[in-house]
This record gives sequence, structure tokens and C-alpha cells, in this order.
Amino acid sequence: MRVIISLIQKFFNLILFVGIEIVCMLMIAKTNTLQGNDLMNSANLGIAFWYKKQTGVSTYFGLRQMNDSLLNENTRLRQQLAKYSEIDILNNNAVTRSYTLNDSVHSVQYAHYTYYQARVVNNSVNSASNFITINRGYKDGIEKNMAVISSNGIAGRITNVSAHFATALSILNNKQSLSAKLKNGTSSFVYWEEGASPDELFMKGIPPDIVVKLGDTVFTTSYSTLFPADMIVGTVQKIFKLKKDNSQILHLKPATNFRNMQYVYVIKNDYMEERRKLEDTTKKQLQTVHPPK
Amino acid sequence: MSQYIKYILQFTLLILFQVLILNNITLYWWSQPSGFPVFTPYIYPLFILLLPFETPVWLLLIIGFLCGITMDSFMNTPGMHAFAMVLIAYLRTNVLLALLPKNMKEYKQLSPSTKTMGWAPFLTYSSFLVLIHHSVFFIIELWSLSNLSYLLLKILVSTFTTLLLIIVYFLLFSKRASNTRQ
Repeated sequence: MRVIISLIQKFFNLILFVGIEIVCMLMIAKTNTLQGNDLMNSANLGIAFWYKKQTGVSTYFGLRQMNDSLLNENTRLRQQLAKYSEIDILNNNAVTRSYTLNDSVHSVQYAHYTYYQARVVNNSVNSASNFITINRGYKDGIEKNMAVISSNGIAGRITNVSAHFATALSILNNKQSLSAKLKNGTSSFVYWEEGASPDELFMKGIPPDIVVKLGDTVFTTSYSTLFPADMIVGTVQKIFKLKKDNSQILHLKPATNFRNMQYVYVIKNDYMEERRKLEDTTKKQLQTVHPPK
Repeated sequence: MSQYIKYILQFTLLILFQVLILNNITLYWWSQPSGFPVFTPYIYPLFILLLPFETPVWLLLIIGFLCGITMDSFMNTPGMHAFAMVLIAYLRTNVLLALLPKNMKEYKQLSPSTKTMGWAPFLTYSSFLVLIHHSVFFIIELWSLSNLSYLLLKILVSTFTTLLLIIVYFLLFSKRASNTRQ
């Protein structure tokens, strides 16, 4: 017994060192998933306080650029509105369309989205998984897995929510990819790699016979429940051909400027739960009818 | 007592300087070649480097852990900064023993600086520990060796920048500190 105590006294520092390192490793291992990390993130109130003070100062320096981007957005929205009002006259609205069936009028409503406006309190572009912290929390109606867009294009999705703040995983992240399509409807997925610059996204697996031009725009699809369809992801910057199967890899320039993001919109898809449930039950039925071999 | 207040103040200022100012400055060494690392220097390990000579190892370990955890909460990287900080806190005493001409106990009430150690030994000491901190942190952060040249570049370039900042820190503050001590 005395030997053990004297041993512990002799190697006390080493034991403490190894102990703390193991605690750190457990923390890394436990919270390196998207679900973990509830306690220590910048949505934490004490931490967010400092970030809020900081953005209070730094937003002053970006007011001019922000005005420009808001103006751009206004013009784009006006153009879209003009398009829809034209369609409205032709009685062919994209959101609700009514048609007669068996002498009764049915109204079909497509995906319905609610927009929340939020300010970016903290944002990173240079680590392996980049985060955006915003100043809206569950008290303002923000929930997990809502989409985040900037005024120019898509930005990320919400992963952690506290009372007044929320953190979002930005698309500059090696942990998630995104369903996207070209102008002609060819759909594939967009992803980012650690080591790439924050001005570059990648799009893989475009068939060789599809003609892509530099400067073509890439949009989101309606396949994912996250983003509304036809939001801008980015524009094609470079085109490479894979020798293996002749398919093309596109390098995109993201429409959002991640270095200078100050205001974002959080989008809630009101029918996300319903759609997910329906798709899950369909999958289950298929599995019971044709069990996988 | 005033010694404690001084260190607490130093801790707060270093962390706030790191989080509120340095983390927002994304540096490039040259802009165009794509894929060249975008990085921020981490100056906050300087706090561990500047603690007094006679600080016992267990206290260093705990302070390193607290310092790392604070950074982690700010940067959404649970445990990564803490891991690297505890490692350099443990190695600190051995590096000092190897570099100092006299026994550690002879330096009463002093802390490592360019004044007490001289420029060359202090820079060796800080560059060694900062290099270890940065390598461990970036390896944990990336967690793959598939892009080895990128990793090495990132480590070297950010270590170099951190050292430049440390030198600037001493050029700015060492004179005033010596005046107050006399």
C-alpha cells in the first residue's frame, strides 16, 4: 500500500497529465458528431455576449457593402415578382394552382416556407468545419435543421439552438453535401473539401454528354427537404474531365460571400415533417413487400 | 496578490485579443495559388509560456486545460485546443530545464521573458512549444493525413506568424514591465 502511495506521489504529474488528456480525447470523440456539442458552442450565452459586442463594432465597417448586397437582392426579388405577376394574369400561379375535378374545385398547395431574418454574430471560413452563429434562438421560432441562406445564395443549416442564439453548419464543411442541379435539370450533389479555399465548391458526377459552359448557374433541387428549389448555389468557374469514366467535375464559385456575411435568412419548411414521415413509411412498405436480399 | 490579478488580466486580454481580433483576420501569404492554406495565428498559448518559473506542473496542467476549454467554447472545437494546451503545459518545465543555465529554484518571482532568459533561449523555448501546439492542434482538427503537404504548410506558416506576433508583443511590452519592477 505504501509503495503504491509513494508511486502515485512520484508520478503524480504524469498521472494528472494523462488523465486530463484522456478527458480531452473523450470530449473530442463524443462531440465530433453533428448531434453532440450542446454544452460548448458559441450559441452559449456567455460566449455569445462577447461575439455580440464584437459585431456591434464591426458591422459599422461593412455598411456600404451590405447596402449594395441588399440593393442587389431587392432588384432580383422585384424581377421575380414581375415574373409571377405575369403568370398570375394567365391564371397559372406557381404556388397555388386550382383545377376542376368531378365538378368540385381543388386547391393544391405546394411547399410552403416561412422566412426569419437574423444577423450573423460569428462566422468562420478557415477551419475544417465552419460554423455560423446567428442572433435568433428557439424563442424566435428557430429549430434544428432549418435552412440558412444569405441574400445572394445558400449558406448552411441550423445544428444547435439555444434561447437567443443558434449555430449553423455552413456549406463550407466536409460533413455535408447538398443536392443541386444545372440549368438544364441535370442533378448531382455539391460539396466542399477541407483544404479548398472558401471561394470554391465542387460538383461531381456530371455525365460527359452534358454541355456545361463557364458562368452557368447551379440551383438547389426540390429533392432535399432543406432548401426551397431553385435557390442559387453558385456559378461554374472551372470544368475538369475525369479520365476514369469521362465524367465532369465542376468548380463552382459560391454565390454567397462567406467572408463578409452579416445578415442571413432562416427558412422553415412547414411541410418537412409530413413529407419525411410519408417517405419513411413508403420506404418501410417497400422493404416489407420486397425484403432486401 | 497583485501578481494574481496581473495574470488574470493577462489571461482575459490574451483570450479576447485572440477571439475578437485575430480570429477575424484571415491571412494569406500570397493570394493567388489555389489551395494555399488560409489560416489564423493562435497567440493565446503565450499565456502558458509566460507563467512564473516556479509554477508547479499540476497547476500548469490545470491552467492549460482551463485556457484550452475557454478557447474551445469560443471556437466550437470541443477538446481540441485543450488537448494541445495540456500537452505544452506538461512539456514546458522540461524544455525550460534544458535551456536554463541555472537551477529553476534560483529564479524567484520571475517569469520567462526575453529579459530574464535572453532573446535566443526564449525564442527557442517559445518556438518549440508553439510548433508542438500548432502541429497537434491542426492534426486533430484535420484528422487525416491524405493532404500532407497542405497540413505541413499550414502548421509551418501559422507557427511562423505566431512567433512574429510574440516578438512584437515583447518589443511592445518588455520595457514597461522592467520599469515597474524596479
